[in-house]
Amino acid sequence: MNGMRPPHSNASNAVDRWLAAERYDGDDQADAALLELFESLPLIAPPAGFADRVILRAGIPATRRDLFASRGARLAVAVCLVALGLGAVWLPPVLRVLAGFWSFGGLVQGGVRALADAAQWLATALRVWDLLLTIGRALTQPLTMPQVTAGLVVCLLISSLAFRLLRDQLTGERNWTYVDPI
Amino acid sequence: MKTDAEVVVSALRGSQDAYRELVKRFERPVYSLILRMVQDPASAEDLAQEVFVKAFRRLNTYDPQWKFSSWLFKIAHNSTIDHLRRGTPETVPLEAADDERGSLGAVLADETVEDPLAAAERRDLGRSLERAIALLRPEYRQAVLMFYAHGASYQEICEVTGLPLGTVKTNLHRARKELAQAMTSLGWGPETGRALAS
Repeated sequence: MNGMRPPHSNASNAVDRWLAAERYDGDDQADAALLELFESLPLIAPPAGFADRVILRAGIPATRRDLFASRGARLAVAVCLVALGLGAVWLPPVLRVLAGFWSFGGLVQGGVRALADAAQWLATALRVWDLLLTIGRALTQPLTMPQVTAGLVVCLLISSLAFRLLRDQLTGERNWTYVDPI
Repeated sequence: MKTDAEVVVSALRGSQDAYRELVKRFERPVYSLILRMVQDPASAEDLAQEVFVKAFRRLNTYDPQWKFSSWLFKIAHNSTIDHLRRGTPETVPLEAADDERGSLGAVLADETVEDPLAAAERRDLGRSLERAIALLRPEYRQAVLMFYAHGASYQEICEVTGLPLGTVKTNLHRARKELAQAMTSLGWGPETGRALAS
C-alpha cells in the first residue's frame, strides 16, 4: 500500500509528524507540525470586485483627486515658489545692470544697423525674384506661338491616353482570380 | 508604504482610496477566517463585507495603539458568532463542496507546481482537514484558525475573543486534540498508510 503513495509533500509530512506527536503528547512538536501544515495553506481571496462592493455598501463617496496630495507635487510647487520669489528679488537689480551697458546712442545705432541689414536682405530677395521672373518669361515665350501650343496639347493627350491604358491593364490583372489546382 | 494607522487617518479624512487600501490589505485574512468558520462562500462574502462596513462606520473609535488587524478580527469574530448563533444551520463540508473555489481542498491542490499524484494527495488532505475543522465547535474553530492559519498570538486571540488567556490556551489544546482525532478517524496518520485518493 505504501509503495503506491506518491512522494510526500510538505503538508503530508507535516500531518504525519503532527499526528505522531499527538500520540505521545508531544505538545510542542504537535504545535510546530500543525503550524507547518497550516502555513502551506495560502489565504483565500474573496471573489473579484470585493473591495468595490464593500465601498458601495458602506456608502463611501468618491473623493476628488487632490493634485497636491503627493509629496513630489508639493515639493515641485515649493521649488517653483522659491524660484519665483528669488526672481522677484533679483530681477530689478539685474535689469538695472543690463540697462547700464546700453546708452541711448548705442540703442539708436543698433536700430539703424538692423534696418540697414533688413533692407539689404530685401534687395537680395528682390533680385532673386527678378531672376526667376526672367527665366519664367523665357520658358513661356514659345507657348505664345500656336504651333508650339498645339504640339504641347497633342503630347498631353497622348500621355493621358497612355496613362489610361496602363491603368486599365493593371486593374484587369488585379481582378483575375487564381485558383490553386490542388 | 504607509502603516495601517496612517491609512486609517487618511480614511478618516475622507479618502476613498484609503478605505479601498484597508479592504485590499485585509480582505484575504478576514474572508479566509470567515469562510472557514461558516463553510459557505456566499455567507462568507456577505459577512466579510459586513465586517468592513461595520469597521468603517466605527473607524473613529479605533485606537492606533492596537494592531488594526486585531481590531478588525474582533469585529469579524463578533459578526461570525452572531451569524452562527442566529441559528443558521452549520454546514459540514461535503465532497461536492470541495470543488468550489476557495475550499481548502482546492487551495491545497496546487497542480501548477506539483505532479498530479502529489496534487491529488494534497487535495485529499485538504478535504479531510476542512471536514475536521468544520467538526470543531465554533470557539475551538476560531481559536485554531486564528492561531495556526493566521499566526495570531495568544494575547491577540484573547483580545479578539474576549476570553482569558487560560481559556484560550485550553481551547487551543483541546481543539488540536479533537482535530487530530478527526484526522485519524479520517484515515490520516503515520501508521495508517492512507493511500492516494482512498
